[in-house]
Amino acid sequence: MDSSVHLDNTVMQFGDFTAIQKTDLTIQSGEFFSFLGPSGCGKTTILNMISGFIDPTQGDIKIGGKSMRGVPANKRPTSMIFQNLALFPLMTVAENIEFGLEVRGVSKSERKKASDRLLELVALEGSGAKKVSELSGGQKQRIAIARALAVEPQVLLLDEPLSALDLKLRQHMRTELKAIQRKTGITFIYITHDQGEALTMSDRVAVMSAGRIQQVADPITLYRDPHTAFVASFVGENNGVSGKVIEANSDLVVLDCGPLGKLAGRSQSNIAVGADATLFIRPEHFRLQAENGMHTLGATIDEVNFEGAYLTLNAKTPADQALSIQLGTHQYSESLKKGAPVSLSYNERDAIVIAGGDHV
Amino acid sequence: MFSQLKSRFGSGLAVGIIGMIAIWLIGLVILPQILMVDYSFRPNLLPADIGGPKDVYSLTNYETLFSNKIHLAIFFKTIWSSVLVTGLTLVVSYPIAFYLAKVATPQKAALCLLLLIIPFWINEILRTFSWYIILAYKGPLNALLLGLGLIDRPVRFLSGDGGVLIGMVYAYILFMIFPIYNAIESLDTNQIKAARNLGAGWIRTHWRVVIPHAKPGIATGCIMTFMLAAGSYAVPALLGSPGSRWFTQIIYNWFFEGGDWNQGAAYAFLLLIICIGFIALVMRIFKVGLGDIAK
Repeated sequence: MDSSVHLDNTVMQFGDFTAIQKTDLTIQSGEFFSFLGPSGCGKTTILNMISGFIDPTQGDIKIGGKSMRGVPANKRPTSMIFQNLALFPLMTVAENIEFGLEVRGVSKSERKKASDRLLELVALEGSGAKKVSELSGGQKQRIAIARALAVEPQVLLLDEPLSALDLKLRQHMRTELKAIQRKTGITFIYITHDQGEALTMSDRVAVMSAGRIQQVADPITLYRDPHTAFVASFVGENNGVSGKVIEANSDLVVLDCGPLGKLAGRSQSNIAVGADATLFIRPEHFRLQAENGMHTLGATIDEVNFEGAYLTLNAKTPADQALSIQLGTHQYSESLKKGAPVSLSYNERDAIVIAGGDHV
Repeated sequence: MFSQLKSRFGSGLAVGIIGMIAIWLIGLVILPQILMVDYSFRPNLLPADIGGPKDVYSLTNYETLFSNKIHLAIFFKTIWSSVLVTGLTLVVSYPIAFYLAKVATPQKAALCLLLLIIPFWINEILRTFSWYIILAYKGPLNALLLGLGLIDRPVRFLSGDGGVLIGMVYAYILFMIFPIYNAIESLDTNQIKAARNLGAGWIRTHWRVVIPHAKPGIATGCIMTFMLAAGSYAVPALLGSPGSRWFTQIIYNWFFEGGDWNQGAAYAFLLLIICIGFIALVMRIFKVGLGDIAK
């Protein structure tokens, strides 16, 4: 069954405020797709539009190729897992799971079969008669998943459902969600501000900021080849150094970074010589020993933090810019201490140059 | 209680506070009630006979109601009409309460609440009398309906029970709206969204999610409305017709026209006891506990 979701030139406005700028995006059938962004970026609005709680101001939402304009929330082939789960506290676990089937007029015995099967899927066999309040946080989470799956949706919408769980449980639920998605083949649309969740579970991620999708890519591409300064600094950690383009050969760009000298990095877009640009270097791409063809910049150590498998250094460049560096613990030496000078090298293939001088 | 008050205000003030509460409670609440209970069991005698050989306790005053067919009919009619008033008030109030709690923006809700409350700053008699004018044979409501062509000739709203029902629904609507509003407001909006999302239409969403949650509020509102309606005097006296007499009017007659306080007291207690019993029964049927209502 085609369960793709197409945001067809969708715009959402609330009065004068544009929550979603014109967006055209197709989420493939059976894909695990995440919207990642800081709070207030419009990702929940997208979920509300897909589920039918609000209708877009312009454009359309298509599910499986069918226009959803004017289709009310209770008639859409979507089901949602809410941030606070929104289980019905006055119903038993089984009644919660069966609610969607009860609405559809499914017989009692069929409903019972379905809820037993789903309880097994989420590994909570025999909990059907329990009250919702008797369950732990993780169990409630799984009941919410079972309830949403019971109506056999084409699209499952997840609104930061893991944010209320503790770290261990969250990591466990990530694997479980991914496994359920593989087992059922349903299109999952996941909303989160936690990049760890988005990167580990998703087939593709859309990074959003201020109502606009900045980039849509698989997690590795997103991390390695960010297209905008926002993506470069929002996904993972990054050090941005601004400068002026003095050379642009094929995909390699050289910047004049003032007191830091000439630094080079890759670029996907054509940047004109003379333009302002920012060079992004990830903390883990710095080396203490320069190898052939590496670029080097000098800095002074501000702070050394030992984190077990690795060290993080906070350093300052002569231009007084803060840098964050991550080194394997094997590179530790006595000379790495506060106030000491350090020379940091990186491979130009690991750095990204993005147009625009003001990166933060 | 005394030690708490003493530690907070000192013993002098504590004695004063407790004393005043005691005077109020005993002198103004308990003693008059006991006096009325005492009255209700004694015969109505001339002042000279009070304390004499005829002044004995009996259930005669209570038995009067059950031997008087007309009074008994009015009694049951009062209970039944109060049930009707309660049901009608619930039907009118629930959508308003839901709108105020979940649909309206905070500004709109505040405005609506104000508009609902303002008329209640006016005395109940005056408010009821304004309905008398509105519902009159040649009143504005008939004029409006005639003007719109909805009716051919004026309707006599005030003969029969119609006027009393309308007047009471209006008089007690706030006692119904507020408890339900409070109950619905405490419902997580995501619950409604979740029900919709799982395919429930509006009726089922209300029936399975909103109403079960609001049940204590609905019960509180219904009990208040029922008790107020059954004990109402002004509305039936002003808007009623001879055919729609309320039991409170008979009690009033015993006290102030018959001059038989003993009989009136017995009738009043019968009304109270049977109303409480009726409410207890209904609460049982709908599985509402006292604890739910106290919330």
